[in-house]
Amino acid sequence: MRNVGIIGVGYTPVFVSKRKDVNIPEMISEAVDAAFRNTKLTPDDIDAITFGNMQTFEGVNMPHLWAADHMRALDKPYMRIATGGTTGMSTLHSAYYHVASGLHDVVMAITWEKQSEGDSQVGLSGIVMPEAMVMVQHGMDLFGGKGMGAMGGGSTGAAAYQAMSYLHHSGADPEHIDKMAALERSNAALNPYAHLRKKTTVADIQATPFVSWPLRFGHTCPTSDGATVAIVASEEMVEKLADSVAWINGVGCATSDPATVNFIEGQITDPAEQEPARMASSKAYAMAGIKDPSKEIDMAEMYNGFAHQSLMWLEKLGLCKEGEAHKMLDAGALNIDGELPTNASGGVFSTNAIGASAMNRPTECALQIMRKIEGGHQIPKKIKNAVSHGWGGMFQYVTVTVLGDEPRHGQG
Amino acid sequence: MSAQQERIVATAVVPLDFTYNYRVGQYVERYIKGLGQKKIMGVKCPGDASVIVPPRKYCGRCNEIMNEWVEVGPEGTIENFTIAHVNLNKGVVEKADTEYIVALVKLDGATSLLPAKVLGVSPVDVEVGMRVKAVFKDPVEDSLEDLSHFEPAG
Repeated sequence: MRNVGIIGVGYTPVFVSKRKDVNIPEMISEAVDAAFRNTKLTPDDIDAITFGNMQTFEGVNMPHLWAADHMRALDKPYMRIATGGTTGMSTLHSAYYHVASGLHDVVMAITWEKQSEGDSQVGLSGIVMPEAMVMVQHGMDLFGGKGMGAMGGGSTGAAAYQAMSYLHHSGADPEHIDKMAALERSNAALNPYAHLRKKTTVADIQATPFVSWPLRFGHTCPTSDGATVAIVASEEMVEKLADSVAWINGVGCATSDPATVNFIEGQITDPAEQEPARMASSKAYAMAGIKDPSKEIDMAEMYNGFAHQSLMWLEKLGLCKEGEAHKMLDAGALNIDGELPTNASGGVFSTNAIGASAMNRPTECALQIMRKIEGGHQIPKKIKNAVSHGWGGMFQYVTVTVLGDEPRHGQG
Repeated sequence: MSAQQERIVATAVVPLDFTYNYRVGQYVERYIKGLGQKKIMGVKCPGDASVIVPPRKYCGRCNEIMNEWVEVGPEGTIENFTIAHVNLNKGVVEKADTEYIVALVKLDGATSLLPAKVLGVSPVDVEVGMRVKAVFKDPVEDSLEDLSHFEPAG
Protein backbone atom coordinates (compact mmCIF):
# COMPACT_ATOMS: atom_id res chain seq x y z
CA MET A 1 0.00 0.00 0.00
CA ARG A 2 1.35 3.43 -0.97
CA ASN A 3 1.80 6.36 1.37
CA VAL A 4 -0.66 9.20 0.82
CA GLY A 5 -0.54 12.80 2.02
CA ILE A 6 -2.90 15.75 2.13
CA ILE A 7 -1.12 18.45 0.10
CA GLY A 8 -3.73 21.16 0.22
CA VAL A 9 -7.03 22.27 1.65
CA GLY A 10 -9.64 24.71 0.42
CA TYR A 11 -12.55 26.18 2.37
CA THR A 12 -15.40 28.41 1.30
CA PRO A 13 -14.50 31.94 2.49
CA VAL A 14 -17.08 31.64 5.28
CA PHE A 15 -19.27 29.07 7.02
CA VAL A 16 -22.56 30.76 7.89
CA SER A 17 -26.27 30.03 8.37
CA LYS A 18 -27.35 31.13 4.91
CA ARG A 19 -25.36 31.70 1.73
CA LYS A 20 -28.14 33.37 -0.25
CA ASP A 21 -25.72 34.95 -2.72
CA VAL A 22 -24.73 31.68 -4.45
CA ASN A 23 -26.37 28.44 -5.52
CA ILE A 24 -25.12 25.01 -4.46
CA PRO A 25 -22.55 24.36 -7.24
CA GLU A 26 -21.29 27.95 -7.03
CA MET A 27 -20.77 27.66 -3.30
CA ILE A 28 -18.86 24.37 -3.55
CA SER A 29 -16.73 25.74 -6.40
CA GLU A 30 -15.38 28.42 -4.05
CA ALA A 31 -13.73 25.70 -1.96
CA VAL A 32 -12.45 23.92 -5.09
CA ASP A 33 -10.93 27.20 -6.31
CA ALA A 34 -9.36 27.77 -2.89
CA ALA A 35 -7.77 24.30 -2.97
CA PHE A 36 -6.30 25.00 -6.42
CA ARG A 37 -5.09 28.41 -5.28
CA ASN A 38 -3.50 27.03 -2.12
CA THR A 39 -1.69 24.18 -3.92
CA LYS A 40 -0.94 26.02 -7.20
CA LEU A 41 -2.35 22.96 -8.98
CA THR A 42 -4.73 23.07 -11.94
CA PRO A 43 -7.60 20.74 -12.88
CA ASP A 44 -5.18 18.93 -15.22
CA ASP A 45 -3.23 17.73 -12.18
CA ILE A 46 -6.28 15.93 -10.72
CA ASP A 47 -6.77 12.27 -11.68
CA ALA A 48 -10.07 11.57 -9.95
CA ILE A 49 -12.62 13.20 -7.66
CA THR A 50 -14.68 12.05 -4.71
CA PHE A 51 -17.65 14.13 -3.61
CA GLY A 52 -19.76 13.92 -0.49
CA ASN A 53 -22.73 15.47 1.27
CA MET A 54 -25.58 14.23 3.42
CA GLN A 55 -28.34 12.18 1.92
CA THR A 56 -31.69 13.98 1.70
CA PHE A 57 -30.72 17.28 3.28
CA GLU A 58 -31.07 19.47 0.19
CA GLY A 59 -33.31 17.01 -1.62
CA VAL A 60 -30.88 16.82 -4.55
CA ASN A 61 -30.23 13.20 -5.37
CA MET A 62 -27.28 13.68 -7.73
CA PRO A 63 -25.64 16.90 -6.64
CA HIS A 64 -22.23 15.74 -7.89
CA LEU A 65 -23.54 15.51 -11.45
CA TRP A 66 -25.38 18.82 -11.17
CA ALA A 67 -22.10 20.36 -10.09
CA ALA A 68 -19.76 18.36 -12.37
CA ASP A 69 -18.52 21.36 -14.37
CA HIS A 70 -18.16 23.55 -11.29
CA MET A 71 -16.06 20.75 -9.74
CA ARG A 72 -13.83 20.66 -12.87
CA ALA A 73 -14.75 16.96 -13.02
CA LEU A 74 -15.51 16.48 -16.71
CA ASP A 75 -13.87 13.38 -18.22
CA LYS A 76 -12.57 12.20 -14.84
CA PRO A 77 -13.46 9.29 -12.54
CA TYR A 78 -15.99 10.81 -10.13
CA MET A 79 -18.11 9.31 -7.37
CA ARG A 80 -20.41 10.48 -4.62
CA ILE A 81 -20.09 9.18 -1.07
CA ALA A 82 -22.84 9.43 1.54
CA THR A 83 -22.51 7.82 4.98
CA GLY A 84 -24.43 10.28 7.15
CA GLY A 85 -22.54 12.53 9.56
CA THR A 86 -19.31 10.75 8.67
CA THR A 87 -19.68 11.60 4.97
CA GLY A 88 -16.84 14.13 4.97
CA MET A 89 -14.31 11.67 6.29
CA SER A 90 -15.64 8.78 4.20
CA THR A 91 -15.12 11.02 1.15
CA LEU A 92 -11.52 11.64 2.23
CA HIS A 93 -11.03 7.92 2.91
CA SER A 94 -12.30 7.14 -0.57
CA ALA A 95 -9.75 9.55 -2.06
CA TYR A 96 -7.11 7.90 0.13
CA TYR A 97 -8.09 4.43 -1.17
CA HIS A 98 -7.88 5.72 -4.76
CA VAL A 99 -4.25 6.72 -4.23
CA ALA A 100 -3.05 4.11 -1.70
CA SER A 101 -4.22 1.38 -4.08
CA GLY A 102 -2.00 2.72 -6.86
CA LEU A 103 -4.90 3.37 -9.21
CA HIS A 104 -4.52 7.18 -9.11
CA ASP A 105 -1.82 9.65 -8.04
CA VAL A 106 -3.62 12.90 -7.21
CA VAL A 107 -7.26 12.91 -6.05
CA MET A 108 -9.53 15.74 -4.94
CA ALA A 109 -12.08 15.12 -2.17
CA ILE A 110 -14.96 17.60 -2.13
CA THR A 111 -17.40 17.88 0.77
CA TRP A 112 -20.14 20.38 1.48
CA GLU A 113 -23.57 21.16 2.82
CA LYS A 114 -25.96 24.01 2.21
CA GLN A 115 -28.35 23.28 5.02
CA SER A 116 -30.26 26.52 4.61
CA GLU A 117 -31.77 25.20 1.36
CA GLY A 118 -33.22 22.00 2.71
CA ASP A 119 -34.88 20.60 5.76
CA SER A 120 -32.30 18.96 7.94
CA GLN A 121 -34.76 17.57 10.50
CA VAL A 122 -36.70 15.88 7.71
CA GLY A 123 -33.32 14.72 6.43
CA LEU A 124 -32.52 13.25 9.82
CA SER A 125 -35.93 11.59 9.93
CA GLY A 126 -35.08 9.99 6.59
CA ILE A 127 -31.96 8.49 8.09
CA VAL A 128 -33.67 6.72 10.94
CA MET A 129 -36.81 5.93 8.97
CA PRO A 130 -38.48 3.62 8.62
CA GLU A 131 -37.31 1.86 11.79
CA ALA A 132 -37.68 4.86 14.03
CA MET A 133 -41.28 5.27 13.08
CA VAL A 134 -42.01 1.93 14.67
CA MET A 135 -40.63 3.19 17.93
CA VAL A 136 -41.80 6.74 17.72
CA GLN A 137 -45.38 5.78 17.16
CA HIS A 138 -45.72 4.30 20.62
CA GLY A 139 -48.16 6.87 21.82
CA MET A 140 -46.48 9.58 19.84
CA ASP A 141 -47.40 11.30 16.65
CA LEU A 142 -44.39 11.39 14.38
CA PHE A 143 -45.15 14.31 12.12
CA GLY A 144 -47.81 15.99 14.20
CA GLY A 145 -47.42 18.16 17.25
CA LYS A 146 -45.21 15.66 19.06
CA GLY A 147 -43.04 15.01 16.02
CA MET A 148 -39.91 13.01 16.85
CA GLY A 149 -41.29 12.97 20.36
CA ALA A 150 -39.51 9.79 21.37
CA MET A 151 -36.29 11.56 20.61
CA GLY A 152 -37.39 14.48 22.74
CA GLY A 153 -36.62 16.96 19.97
CA GLY A 154 -34.81 15.53 16.95
CA SER A 155 -31.20 14.49 17.24
CA THR A 156 -30.71 16.54 20.40
CA GLY A 157 -33.15 14.30 22.20
CA ALA A 158 -31.46 11.14 20.99
CA ALA A 159 -28.09 12.53 22.11
CA ALA A 160 -29.57 13.36 25.51
CA TYR A 161 -29.66 9.66 26.43
CA GLN A 162 -26.02 9.42 25.41
CA ALA A 163 -25.13 12.45 27.53
CA MET A 164 -26.96 10.93 30.50
CA SER A 165 -24.98 7.73 30.14
CA TYR A 166 -21.69 9.60 29.69
CA LEU A 167 -22.27 11.65 32.86
CA HIS A 168 -23.23 8.53 34.80
CA HIS A 169 -20.18 6.49 33.77
CA SER A 170 -17.55 9.23 33.82
CA GLY A 171 -18.47 10.99 37.03
CA ALA A 172 -18.47 14.30 35.15
CA ASP A 173 -21.02 16.97 36.11
CA PRO A 174 -23.39 18.75 33.71
CA GLU A 175 -21.15 21.80 34.36
CA HIS A 176 -18.34 20.03 32.52
CA ILE A 177 -20.53 20.02 29.41
CA ASP A 178 -21.00 23.78 29.86
CA LYS A 179 -17.27 24.23 30.28
CA MET A 180 -16.37 22.21 27.16
CA ALA A 181 -18.99 24.16 25.22
CA ALA A 182 -17.50 27.48 26.33
CA LEU A 183 -13.96 26.34 25.48
CA GLU A 184 -14.88 25.24 21.96
CA ARG A 185 -16.98 28.31 21.18
CA SER A 186 -14.08 30.47 22.35
CA ASN A 187 -11.70 28.49 20.10
CA ALA A 188 -14.11 29.02 17.21
CA ALA A 189 -13.93 32.77 17.83
CA LEU A 190 -10.29 32.54 16.68
CA ASN A 191 -11.08 30.51 13.53
CA PRO A 192 -12.09 32.49 10.43
CA TYR A 193 -13.72 29.34 8.96
CA ALA A 194 -15.91 28.73 12.01
CA HIS A 195 -19.59 29.62 12.02
CA LEU A 196 -20.39 30.66 15.62
CA ARG A 197 -17.46 32.93 16.40
CA LYS A 198 -18.10 34.50 19.76
CA LYS A 199 -15.97 34.26 22.86
CA THR A 200 -18.27 32.40 25.22
CA THR A 201 -18.32 31.87 28.97
CA VAL A 202 -19.78 29.07 31.05
CA ALA A 203 -22.41 31.55 32.26
CA ASP A 204 -23.38 32.30 28.63
CA ILE A 205 -23.98 28.58 28.04
CA GLN A 206 -25.89 28.17 31.30
CA ALA A 207 -28.22 31.02 30.32
CA THR A 208 -29.58 29.00 27.36
CA PRO A 209 -32.78 26.92 27.76
CA PHE A 210 -32.91 23.16 28.04
CA VAL A 211 -33.84 21.18 24.94
CA SER A 212 -33.74 17.70 26.45
CA TRP A 213 -32.24 17.20 29.87
CA PRO A 214 -29.24 17.34 30.36
CA LEU A 215 -28.66 19.11 27.04
CA ARG A 216 -29.27 22.83 26.61
CA PHE A 217 -29.59 24.84 23.43
CA GLY A 218 -26.06 26.04 24.15
CA HIS A 219 -24.82 22.44 23.93
CA THR A 220 -25.98 21.94 20.35
CA CYS A 221 -24.33 22.60 17.01
CA PRO A 222 -25.57 25.12 14.43
CA THR A 223 -26.60 24.29 10.88
CA SER A 224 -24.19 25.83 8.40
CA ASP A 225 -23.63 26.44 4.72
CA GLY A 226 -20.09 25.77 3.52
CA ALA A 227 -17.69 23.44 1.70
CA THR A 228 -14.27 21.91 2.28
CA VAL A 229 -11.92 20.38 -0.25
CA ALA A 230 -8.74 18.34 0.32
CA ILE A 231 -6.25 17.24 -2.32
CA VAL A 232 -4.37 14.02 -1.60
CA ALA A 233 -1.33 12.68 -3.44
CA SER A 234 1.00 9.70 -3.56
CA GLU A 235 4.46 10.01 -1.98
CA GLU A 236 6.06 10.42 -5.40
CA MET A 237 3.66 13.20 -6.38
CA VAL A 238 4.03 14.89 -2.99
CA GLU A 239 7.72 15.32 -3.81
CA LYS A 240 6.92 16.69 -7.26
CA LEU A 241 3.96 18.95 -6.49
CA ALA A 242 3.77 19.95 -2.86
CA ASP A 243 5.47 22.56 -0.71
CA SER A 244 3.96 21.07 2.45
CA VAL A 245 2.15 17.89 3.39
CA ALA A 246 0.39 16.09 6.23
CA TRP A 247 0.48 12.33 5.87
CA ILE A 248 -2.59 10.16 6.22
CA ASN A 249 -0.96 7.41 8.25
CA GLY A 250 -3.96 5.48 9.48
CA VAL A 251 -7.61 5.11 8.54
CA GLY A 252 -10.37 3.12 10.17
CA CYS A 253 -14.13 2.86 10.14
CA ALA A 254 -16.65 0.57 11.81
CA THR A 255 -20.35 0.16 12.37
CA SER A 256 -22.18 -1.47 15.23
CA ASP A 257 -25.73 -2.62 15.69
CA PRO A 258 -27.92 -0.80 13.18
CA ALA A 259 -30.77 -0.67 15.68
CA THR A 260 -32.54 2.64 15.65
CA VAL A 261 -30.19 5.40 16.74
CA ASN A 262 -27.94 2.64 17.95
CA PHE A 263 -29.51 1.88 21.30
CA ILE A 264 -33.16 1.13 20.75
CA GLU A 265 -34.38 -2.29 19.72
CA GLY A 266 -30.95 -3.85 19.28
CA GLN A 267 -28.39 -5.49 21.55
CA ILE A 268 -26.80 -2.21 22.61
CA THR A 269 -28.42 -0.72 25.67
CA ASP A 270 -25.82 1.95 26.45
CA PRO A 271 -26.00 4.90 24.05
CA ALA A 272 -22.49 5.90 25.10
CA GLU A 273 -20.99 2.46 24.45
CA GLN A 274 -19.82 3.41 20.95
CA GLU A 275 -17.75 0.29 20.39
CA PRO A 276 -17.11 1.28 16.73
CA ALA A 277 -15.00 4.17 18.01
CA ARG A 278 -12.67 1.69 19.67
CA MET A 279 -12.66 -0.60 16.61
CA ALA A 280 -12.01 2.17 14.09
CA SER A 281 -9.38 3.95 16.16
CA SER A 282 -7.50 0.72 17.01
CA LYS A 283 -7.25 -0.02 13.30
CA ALA A 284 -6.09 3.49 12.45
CA TYR A 285 -3.53 3.62 15.27
CA ALA A 286 -2.13 0.21 14.28
CA MET A 287 -1.75 1.35 10.66
CA ALA A 288 0.00 4.50 11.81
CA GLY A 289 2.33 2.60 14.15
CA ILE A 290 0.89 4.34 17.22
CA LYS A 291 1.18 2.08 20.26
CA ASP A 292 -0.08 4.35 23.05
CA PRO A 293 -2.35 7.07 21.69
CA SER A 294 -2.58 8.75 25.10
CA LYS A 295 1.16 9.49 24.87
CA GLU A 296 1.81 9.74 21.12
CA ILE A 297 -1.12 11.82 19.87
CA ASP A 298 -0.46 15.57 20.03
CA MET A 299 -3.91 16.94 19.14
CA ALA A 300 -7.46 15.73 18.63
CA GLU A 301 -10.34 16.85 16.42
CA MET A 302 -13.49 15.10 17.63
CA TYR A 303 -16.86 15.06 15.86
CA ASN A 304 -19.19 16.66 18.37
CA GLY A 305 -22.67 17.66 17.35
CA PHE A 306 -23.23 18.04 21.09
CA ALA A 307 -20.87 19.45 23.68
CA HIS A 308 -20.58 16.35 25.88
CA GLN A 309 -19.24 14.36 22.96
CA SER A 310 -15.70 15.76 22.75
CA LEU A 311 -15.11 14.49 26.27
CA MET A 312 -16.77 11.15 25.59
CA TRP A 313 -14.82 10.55 22.38
CA LEU A 314 -11.43 11.31 23.98
CA GLU A 315 -12.13 8.34 26.25
CA LYS A 316 -13.53 6.10 23.52
CA LEU A 317 -10.55 6.79 21.25
CA GLY A 318 -8.06 5.82 23.96
CA LEU A 319 -6.66 9.33 24.38
CA CYS A 320 -7.25 9.07 28.12
CA LYS A 321 -8.76 6.58 30.54
CA GLU A 322 -12.52 6.34 31.04
CA GLY A 323 -13.61 9.06 33.42
CA GLU A 324 -10.47 11.16 32.84
CA ALA A 325 -11.52 13.53 30.04
CA HIS A 326 -13.38 15.98 32.26
CA LYS A 327 -10.41 16.07 34.64
CA MET A 328 -8.15 16.95 31.70
CA LEU A 329 -10.61 19.72 30.83
CA ASP A 330 -10.42 21.05 34.41
CA ALA A 331 -6.62 20.92 34.27
CA GLY A 332 -6.52 22.96 31.05
CA ALA A 333 -5.03 20.05 29.06
CA LEU A 334 -7.62 20.43 26.29
CA ASN A 335 -6.86 24.13 25.66
CA ILE A 336 -5.09 25.22 22.48
CA ASP A 337 -1.85 25.53 24.45
CA GLY A 338 -2.53 22.43 26.56
CA GLU A 339 -1.14 18.92 26.51
CA LEU A 340 -3.86 17.54 24.21
CA PRO A 341 -5.46 20.45 22.35
CA THR A 342 -8.98 19.24 21.51
CA ASN A 343 -11.11 20.90 18.85
CA ALA A 344 -8.87 23.94 18.50
CA SER A 345 -11.07 24.64 15.47
CA GLY A 346 -14.20 24.95 17.61
CA GLY A 347 -15.42 21.56 16.43
CA VAL A 348 -18.63 20.53 14.73
CA PHE A 349 -20.23 22.09 17.76
CA SER A 350 -19.37 25.54 16.34
CA THR A 351 -19.53 24.85 12.58
CA ASN A 352 -21.72 22.22 11.00
CA ALA A 353 -22.00 22.17 7.23
CA ILE A 354 -22.70 18.54 7.90
CA GLY A 355 -21.35 16.85 4.75
CA ALA A 356 -18.10 18.75 5.37
CA SER A 357 -18.11 18.33 9.16
CA ALA A 358 -16.21 15.03 9.29
CA MET A 359 -13.79 16.41 6.63
CA ASN A 360 -13.05 19.55 8.63
CA ARG A 361 -11.61 17.38 11.39
CA PRO A 362 -8.72 15.90 9.32
CA THR A 363 -8.23 19.13 7.33
CA GLU A 364 -7.84 21.02 10.62
CA CYS A 365 -5.25 18.43 11.72
CA ALA A 366 -3.46 18.68 8.35
CA LEU A 367 -3.25 22.48 8.50
CA GLN A 368 -2.10 22.34 12.13
CA ILE A 369 0.67 19.88 11.15
CA MET A 370 1.67 22.08 8.16
CA ARG A 371 1.45 25.16 10.44
CA LYS A 372 -0.78 26.82 7.87
CA ILE A 373 -3.66 27.71 10.21
CA GLU A 374 -5.29 31.02 9.38
CA GLY A 375 -6.58 32.99 12.35
CA GLY A 376 -5.53 32.68 15.96
CA HIS A 377 -5.91 29.00 16.78
CA GLN A 378 -2.57 27.58 15.62
CA ILE A 379 -1.44 25.11 18.28
CA PRO A 380 1.90 26.40 19.55
CA LYS A 381 3.62 23.03 20.04
CA LYS A 382 4.90 20.88 17.18
CA ILE A 383 2.31 18.36 16.01
CA LYS A 384 3.82 15.02 15.14
CA ASN A 385 0.66 12.89 15.27
CA ALA A 386 -2.96 14.01 15.18
CA VAL A 387 -6.21 12.08 15.39
CA SER A 388 -9.47 13.09 13.75
CA HIS A 389 -12.83 11.43 14.15
CA GLY A 390 -16.23 11.32 12.49
CA TRP A 391 -19.53 10.05 13.89
CA GLY A 392 -22.73 9.43 12.05
CA GLY A 393 -24.86 6.87 10.33
CA MET A 394 -27.80 6.12 12.61
CA PHE A 395 -25.54 7.07 15.54
CA GLN A 396 -23.49 3.91 15.15
CA TYR A 397 -20.92 4.59 12.43
CA VAL A 398 -17.46 5.92 13.23
CA THR A 399 -14.53 6.97 11.05
CA VAL A 400 -11.02 7.77 12.26
CA THR A 401 -8.03 9.28 10.45
CA VAL A 402 -4.57 9.52 12.00
CA LEU A 403 -2.33 12.13 10.43
CA GLY A 404 1.40 12.67 10.88
CA ASP A 405 4.23 14.98 9.94
CA GLU A 406 6.15 12.02 8.50
CA PRO A 407 4.92 9.17 6.27
CA ARG A 408 4.51 5.64 7.54
CA HIS A 409 7.64 3.52 7.40
CA GLY A 410 7.79 -0.21 6.93
CA GLN A 411 4.18 -1.16 7.72
CA GLY A 412 2.21 -3.24 5.22
CA MET B 1 -27.19 44.40 1.83
CA SER B 2 -28.29 47.09 -0.61
CA ALA B 3 -31.69 47.12 -2.25
CA GLN B 4 -30.05 46.50 -5.60
CA GLN B 5 -28.34 43.35 -4.34
CA GLU B 6 -31.58 42.23 -2.75
CA ARG B 7 -33.32 42.26 -6.15
CA ILE B 8 -30.85 39.83 -7.75
CA VAL B 9 -31.24 37.33 -4.94
CA ALA B 10 -33.97 34.94 -6.01
CA THR B 11 -35.06 31.61 -4.67
CA ALA B 12 -36.64 28.77 -6.63
CA VAL B 13 -39.16 27.41 -4.14
CA VAL B 14 -39.82 23.70 -4.74
CA PRO B 15 -42.64 22.54 -2.45
CA LEU B 16 -42.14 18.79 -2.76
CA ASP B 17 -44.57 16.92 -0.56
CA PHE B 18 -43.84 13.21 -0.70
CA THR B 19 -45.64 10.48 1.15
CA TYR B 20 -43.78 7.21 1.49
CA ASN B 21 -45.41 3.95 2.49
CA TYR B 22 -42.91 1.68 4.20
CA ARG B 23 -43.92 -1.91 4.92
CA VAL B 24 -43.10 -2.61 8.53
CA GLY B 25 -42.03 -6.15 7.63
CA GLN B 26 -42.95 -9.59 8.90
CA TYR B 27 -41.52 -9.16 12.38
CA VAL B 28 -43.12 -5.84 13.28
CA GLU B 29 -46.36 -6.99 11.65
CA ARG B 30 -46.54 -9.82 14.16
CA TYR B 31 -45.51 -7.45 16.96
CA ILE B 32 -48.41 -5.12 16.13
CA LYS B 33 -50.84 -8.05 16.08
CA GLY B 34 -49.55 -8.89 19.59
CA LEU B 35 -50.23 -5.34 20.79
CA GLY B 36 -53.78 -5.81 19.51
CA GLN B 37 -54.08 -8.58 22.13
CA LYS B 38 -52.38 -6.37 24.77
CA LYS B 39 -49.24 -8.52 24.56
CA ILE B 40 -45.71 -7.25 23.91
CA MET B 41 -43.85 -9.80 21.81
CA GLY B 42 -40.11 -10.06 21.27
CA VAL B 43 -37.78 -12.53 19.60
CA LYS B 44 -34.99 -14.54 21.17
CA CYS B 45 -31.60 -15.10 19.56
CA PRO B 46 -30.57 -18.78 19.53
CA GLY B 47 -26.94 -17.65 19.76
CA ASP B 48 -26.62 -15.23 22.68
CA ALA B 49 -30.18 -15.45 24.08
CA SER B 50 -30.83 -11.73 23.51
CA VAL B 51 -34.52 -10.90 23.56
CA ILE B 52 -35.19 -8.02 21.20
CA VAL B 53 -38.26 -5.77 21.29
CA PRO B 54 -39.60 -4.63 18.90
CA PRO B 55 -38.53 -7.78 17.10
CA ARG B 56 -36.18 -7.96 14.15
CA LYS B 57 -34.95 -10.81 12.00
CA TYR B 58 -31.19 -11.02 12.55
CA CYS B 59 -28.94 -10.86 15.58
CA GLY B 60 -26.03 -8.82 14.23
CA ARG B 61 -23.65 -10.15 16.86
CA CYS B 62 -24.30 -13.83 16.19
CA ASN B 63 -25.40 -13.62 12.54
CA GLU B 64 -28.31 -15.83 13.56
CA ILE B 65 -31.93 -15.64 12.47
CA MET B 66 -34.11 -14.98 15.51
CA ASN B 67 -37.34 -16.96 15.29
CA GLU B 68 -38.33 -17.88 18.82
CA TRP B 69 -41.17 -15.56 19.90
CA VAL B 70 -41.47 -14.67 23.58
CA GLU B 71 -43.86 -12.44 25.46
CA VAL B 72 -42.18 -9.73 27.55
CA GLY B 73 -43.35 -7.13 30.07
CA PRO B 74 -45.84 -5.60 30.62
CA GLU B 75 -43.71 -4.29 33.47
CA GLY B 76 -40.19 -3.06 33.07
CA THR B 77 -37.45 -0.81 34.43
CA ILE B 78 -36.38 2.67 33.35
CA GLU B 79 -32.77 2.37 32.17
CA ASN B 80 -32.29 5.91 30.85
CA PHE B 81 -34.49 8.94 30.34
CA THR B 82 -34.61 12.47 29.06
CA ILE B 83 -36.94 15.32 29.92
CA ALA B 84 -38.11 16.90 26.70
CA HIS B 85 -38.62 20.66 26.83
CA VAL B 86 -39.48 20.96 23.13
CA ASN B 87 -41.54 19.33 20.45
CA LEU B 88 -40.46 19.10 16.86
CA ASN B 89 -43.28 19.85 14.50
CA LYS B 90 -42.41 19.22 10.85
CA GLY B 91 -38.88 20.41 11.39
CA VAL B 92 -39.82 23.37 13.57
CA VAL B 93 -38.76 23.26 17.20
CA GLU B 94 -41.55 24.42 19.48
CA LYS B 95 -41.51 24.84 23.22
CA ALA B 96 -43.61 22.08 24.78
CA ASP B 97 -46.62 23.20 26.85
CA THR B 98 -45.31 21.06 29.67
CA GLU B 99 -42.06 19.18 30.01
CA TYR B 100 -42.49 15.46 29.50
CA ILE B 101 -40.53 12.32 30.22
CA VAL B 102 -39.34 9.99 27.50
CA ALA B 103 -37.61 6.92 28.90
CA LEU B 104 -35.76 3.91 27.59
CA VAL B 105 -37.56 1.02 29.23
CA LYS B 106 -36.16 -2.49 29.62
CA LEU B 107 -39.22 -4.70 29.68
CA ASP B 108 -39.08 -7.72 31.98
CA GLY B 109 -37.70 -10.59 29.92
CA ALA B 110 -36.16 -8.34 27.25
CA THR B 111 -32.53 -7.36 26.77
CA SER B 112 -33.20 -4.38 24.49
CA LEU B 113 -34.70 -0.98 25.25
CA LEU B 114 -37.98 0.55 24.16
CA PRO B 115 -38.43 4.33 24.14
CA ALA B 116 -41.76 5.46 25.47
CA LYS B 117 -43.53 8.32 27.16
CA VAL B 118 -43.90 7.92 30.89
CA LEU B 119 -46.96 9.53 32.48
CA GLY B 120 -48.10 9.65 36.07
CA VAL B 121 -44.75 10.76 37.48
CA SER B 122 -43.25 14.23 37.67
CA PRO B 123 -40.00 15.02 35.82
CA VAL B 124 -38.35 15.83 39.15
CA ASP B 125 -39.20 12.38 40.53
CA VAL B 126 -38.28 10.15 37.60
CA GLU B 127 -35.13 8.09 38.06
CA VAL B 128 -33.15 5.26 36.54
CA GLY B 129 -34.28 1.99 38.06
CA MET B 130 -37.89 3.07 38.47
CA ARG B 131 -40.40 0.29 37.79
CA VAL B 132 -43.06 1.04 35.19
CA LYS B 133 -45.82 -0.82 33.40
CA ALA B 134 -47.27 -0.59 29.92
CA VAL B 135 -50.67 1.03 29.46
CA PHE B 136 -52.68 -0.08 26.44
CA LYS B 137 -55.40 1.74 24.59
CA ASP B 138 -58.90 0.55 25.32
CA PRO B 139 -60.30 -0.62 23.00
CA VAL B 140 -57.23 -1.67 21.04
CA GLU B 141 -57.17 -1.09 17.30
CA ASP B 142 -54.32 -3.31 15.97
CA SER B 143 -51.89 -0.45 15.63
CA LEU B 144 -48.56 0.60 17.14
CA GLU B 145 -50.45 3.16 19.15
CA ASP B 146 -52.16 0.37 21.11
CA LEU B 147 -49.16 0.60 23.45
CA SER B 148 -50.04 4.08 24.64
CA HIS B 149 -47.43 4.87 27.32
CA PHE B 150 -45.91 3.66 30.57
CA GLU B 151 -46.79 4.61 34.13
CA PRO B 152 -45.32 3.76 37.54
CA ALA B 153 -45.92 0.11 38.46
CA GLY B 154 -47.53 -0.99 41.68
